[in-house]
Amino acid sequence: MSPAILFQKLRFRLAGNAFSLLWNHAWWRIVIMGYCCAVLWGFLFLLSSHGFHELKTRWNIPLQQSLIDLPFDMFFFTLTILLIFSTGLILYSSLFAGRESEFLLASPMPDDHVFSYKLQGAIAFSSWGFLLLGSPILMAYGIEVRDGAPWYYYVAMPLFFLGFLLIPGCIGAIACLLVVNILPRHRKHFLVGFIVLVIALAVYWGVSWYRESRNFGVGSRPWFESFLNELSYLGGRLVPYHWMTRGMRYAAIGRTEAMLYNLALVWSHGLFLYVVTVWLATKLYRRGFNRIASGGTLRKKYGGHWMDRSLTALLFPLDAQTRMLIVKDFRAFRRDPAQWAQILIFLGMGSMYFLAMRRFYESDLRYSFRIGISLLTLIATGFLMCAYTGRFIYPMLSLEGSKFWILGLLPLDRSRLLVGKFVFSAIGCLVAGQFLIVFANYMLGMPWLIVVVHSLTIALLGLGFSALSVGLGACMPNFRETDPSKVAIGFGGTVNLIVGLMFLTMVVVLLPMPLQLFYVQSENLVLSPDMVPWYYWIGMALGVLVGVGTIIAPMRAGVIALRRMEF
Amino acid sequence: MIELMHVTKSYGNKLAVDDLNLSIRGGEMFAFLGPNGAGKTTTIKMLCGLLFPTVGTVRIAGFDIATHGQEARQRISYVPDTPFLYEKLTGREVLNFIADMYHMPGEKAKRRIDEMIELFNLYLFVDDLTQNYSHGMRQRTVFAAALLHEPDVLIVDEPTVGLDPRSIRLLKDTLRNETKRGATVFLSTHSLDIAQELSDRIGIITQGRLIGCGTLDELRKQAEMHGNLEEVFLILTEEEGPATPVPDSSESVAVSAGS
Repeated sequence: MSPAILFQKLRFRLAGNAFSLLWNHAWWRIVIMGYCCAVLWGFLFLLSSHGFHELKTRWNIPLQQSLIDLPFDMFFFTLTILLIFSTGLILYSSLFAGRESEFLLASPMPDDHVFSYKLQGAIAFSSWGFLLLGSPILMAYGIEVRDGAPWYYYVAMPLFFLGFLLIPGCIGAIACLLVVNILPRHRKHFLVGFIVLVIALAVYWGVSWYRESRNFGVGSRPWFESFLNELSYLGGRLVPYHWMTRGMRYAAIGRTEAMLYNLALVWSHGLFLYVVTVWLATKLYRRGFNRIASGGTLRKKYGGHWMDRSLTALLFPLDAQTRMLIVKDFRAFRRDPAQWAQILIFLGMGSMYFLAMRRFYESDLRYSFRIGISLLTLIATGFLMCAYTGRFIYPMLSLEGSKFWILGLLPLDRSRLLVGKFVFSAIGCLVAGQFLIVFANYMLGMPWLIVVVHSLTIALLGLGFSALSVGLGACMPNFRETDPSKVAIGFGGTVNLIVGLMFLTMVVVLLPMPLQLFYVQSENLVLSPDMVPWYYWIGMALGVLVGVGTIIAPMRAGVIALRRMEF
Repeated sequence: MIELMHVTKSYGNKLAVDDLNLSIRGGEMFAFLGPNGAGKTTTIKMLCGLLFPTVGTVRIAGFDIATHGQEARQRISYVPDTPFLYEKLTGREVLNFIADMYHMPGEKAKRRIDEMIELFNLYLFVDDLTQNYSHGMRQRTVFAAALLHEPDVLIVDEPTVGLDPRSIRLLKDTLRNETKRGATVFLSTHSLDIAQELSDRIGIITQGRLIGCGTLDELRKQAEMHGNLEEVFLILTEEEGPATPVPDSSESVAVSAGS
């Protein structure tokens, strides 16, 4: 049996066994995952349909002409960058930090086949989100363009996707191999530097465009045209994402020859890059494995970092033991690039959001529109906090599993473990959340009452999400798992996410939403609190009660579970 | 069967293995001893081609591991101190995968898998997913997988950690049978009684240097005493002073990834 077939057989066997296990023991998780994907897909599809319809009818933009290439170029360009990063990062941990790699490299399997198996896995893992995001947009485009795209447009869509995925995937893989081989000691610095460079370029582009377009007024046709002009330099004839864009457009308008030409371009370059990457792996993979194991410094001195000292100083009101536990968690977090790299991406997206806010500030937006954006910002910040606590805070107690005998035997009340994690989480949520909300509301020119209510909402959400993640993390720990992302998507993590989203919905519906609607109805930004009807205040008080209950109940349950825990 | 010629391995500016010369013949059981961080795991990883020597040559069955790695690895089985098993495969599926990996013909693979299941008493759990295995069950499955293709060279790193007495007995018998079959066994261990009981020759490494190599009697002569292996080991390694710990490769990955 050839190694390629053997690896495919292994992959299918592993996937099949994992699916059967999940189906037999937690079928509802598959249903929930499918449901969530369907909801997200449907939402994106409706949004895209509406957007394309508006472009076609209200703005009279012909969807079949090359003007539409520009936003698609932007979309595929962004996805290219994201895929290069995600494939490179996934491949790095899979090729050089996984025990399976060591097992396979000590076997007689050829290096290029081992690499190829890992590369295919990394591309598949990093691109499922791409398919989830890209397919509804292209489906909506196909329906809205002219009188609807021909049938083969929908057939060509997955073919274009599959071919295209190889290109950024292989670029990420080549970058990963080169960094490991050339800079084994400085790969972390290289990664951070590169992310900073990409963010800086994006910010520079945003600022330049803002300066040029601010006179047009947000939402006007000249503003939109200026946006499209900015994108035009992304759409060079030699860039693969432009082949995607053109190929899909030609398929949509029935120009089959041009579609096939672009499809051939995508696939030939994808396959060529794949061959080059695998050939490179025969030369560099095992060498890189050796370099990464023996090329770095032998012993590095740890401790005494200024960030740890600053955090210790900041936590002065807490007792020494709780402080020590918080600093321990922070130290473990900052030493794990896989963890903080994701926070860095969050921050990058936040920076871009701030830039967008500036435009809202100086543009002539309708009053109700601004109120709506303010509420959406609050909800988005809540989502971000929910995702952050679910992904990073919930697994923290489970990750203590292997060393729980140390923590369990410490001469301190186990509740301090939870309090430490709660404070660690709450500080991050409150600092980032409050800054974002106050800044966004200020930029939108919101009245102080809305700012105060939003600030209160964010405080309740930040504390509530932290309590939920810490408390439920203690009630449903998974001490066998060492990968935090797997803990986060496990049973407890899913429950935590669902409860978190329910909590977010309740708090938003009870606290800020009625007030925002009241402001919209009254069309008066200078309302004083005594002008707000009494029943609005009752709703808000209920929201606060829900928030406080969500802080206390899971923490209490977590403390009880932790005190009873055997180890 | 195993030859290391002037092998030196450095991590940055630190020598992990220093001018190691070693030749182990077919059918020999060689015990490789040394304090923590002496360079045992680094040497083993060079034998498997996971790490490259900074200087020197490693040959397995006549094949230079640097230039003919695939041919060399076809003849090796490596059982690390923390072995890897695919969690979402059953024990039988793991054995089938290994048989395919080593290009074993179908009939022979089936026969050998049955033999291994019988030898290591895997009946009760061989069709369960390995994620549910205890440490002992995992270790027995890993040895079954390692011996399935009848390797010429068996490299074993700390095989007895966490095993019950019955499993250790089984392991010792298995290793003896392998040498009788003609395979070379390279056994790295801290368990001196097992090394004394099983091995034909013993090598002692500390601070990356092979400070003693031979039969127990030869080592006794070198140490100028008549005690057991434990006493000989302590005297020989004491003369060299405590070793500076050298991380194994997995450790160094984690070390250099942090800040």
